[in-house]
Amino acid sequence: MDRHSRRLPMFLNLAQIRFPIGAIASIAHRVSGVLLFITLPVIALLLDASLRSEEVFALLRKLLSSPLCVVAATVPVWALVHHVLAGVRHLLMDVGVGSELARARASARVVLLAAPVVALLFLVWGLS
Amino acid sequence: MKLSIYRFDPESGKPPRMQAYEVRPEAGDKKLLDLLMRLRVQDDSLSFRRSCREGVCGSDAMNINGRNGLACLTALDGLKEPLVLRPLPGFPVIRDLIVDMTQFFAHYHSIKPWLINSEPLPERERLQSPAERERLDGLYECILCACCSAFCPSYWWNPDKFIGPSGLLQAYRFIADSRDTATAERLDFLDDVYRLYRCRTIMNCTEVCPKGLSPSHAIERIRLALLRRSS
Repeated sequence: MDRHSRRLPMFLNLAQIRFPIGAIASIAHRVSGVLLFITLPVIALLLDASLRSEEVFALLRKLLSSPLCVVAATVPVWALVHHVLAGVRHLLMDVGVGSELARARASARVVLLAAPVVALLFLVWGLS
Repeated sequence: MKLSIYRFDPESGKPPRMQAYEVRPEAGDKKLLDLLMRLRVQDDSLSFRRSCREGVCGSDAMNINGRNGLACLTALDGLKEPLVLRPLPGFPVIRDLIVDMTQFFAHYHSIKPWLINSEPLPERERLQSPAERERLDGLYECILCACCSAFCPSYWWNPDKFIGPSGLLQAYRFIADSRDTATAERLDFLDDVYRLYRCRTIMNCTEVCPKGLSPSHAIERIRLALLRRSS
């Protein structure tokens, strides 16, 4: 890009762009990846702590089955399901499976729907 | 019909703004370009590119209600009002709806968009079988309007390094050509973390191509060709 172009304005307001469903599935893939990156170390630490003694295990179990924790855990559950499904979708598309536009749209829709459904089922199961 | 159009005058020193317009389509006005031409009579300072008015030259690409498309191929029927027109996203704006496509064409040039054949010239033309010719369908029709590249998030973030869907579709057009003998060199050039592999298969390119082509499919074919070569 030359010096002249760098002084010129550019339209790139993402809020004013109408994204296709594939782009929404893709950005959600990134968001879920960031959420997993943040939450997985916490979950690993909790697992590590729970294995130290029977008392800590019982305490953590009681704490994590509280309604507030179950509601909070719905977010990483969504992130995990979305990230795995969207990742598998991308892997398949990389080798030419489902990369035709109509199929790619359909699989994006499935991924975007499946993750909240699983998260909701987890919430119902956790609160019951 | 109510419109809201992105305006930018480089000589004014002012930032871009949206300007409201109202224009009545007349009998025979079928496409957005017809309306824009009518609007230019009202306001001759409004700038946009156009030439063939039938989806062949690729000049009048713009962002129409949040999606890239050609004004000459976009039917007025069914367009949501106010119709919001902005220049192609991620491209430097020269004036109003006119963008600087220098970078875009530099990428096109980089993939050597011409037939390379090192074999001796035949007496007559280089022949192709109908099957070989068929492999170019869906590739040669690209009109370089930039709707795809200007709708690709990977291109927005790396316009100087990623060739973009349009350039990659053109690159595959020559890789797929049975008369071209430079496939290995072409693949060597594309085998790069930025030039080719910035594509994340979001498929925005295929969603907006006004010619109904699939740059994402061409990119997939290049990736598979590279994979086959390395195994």
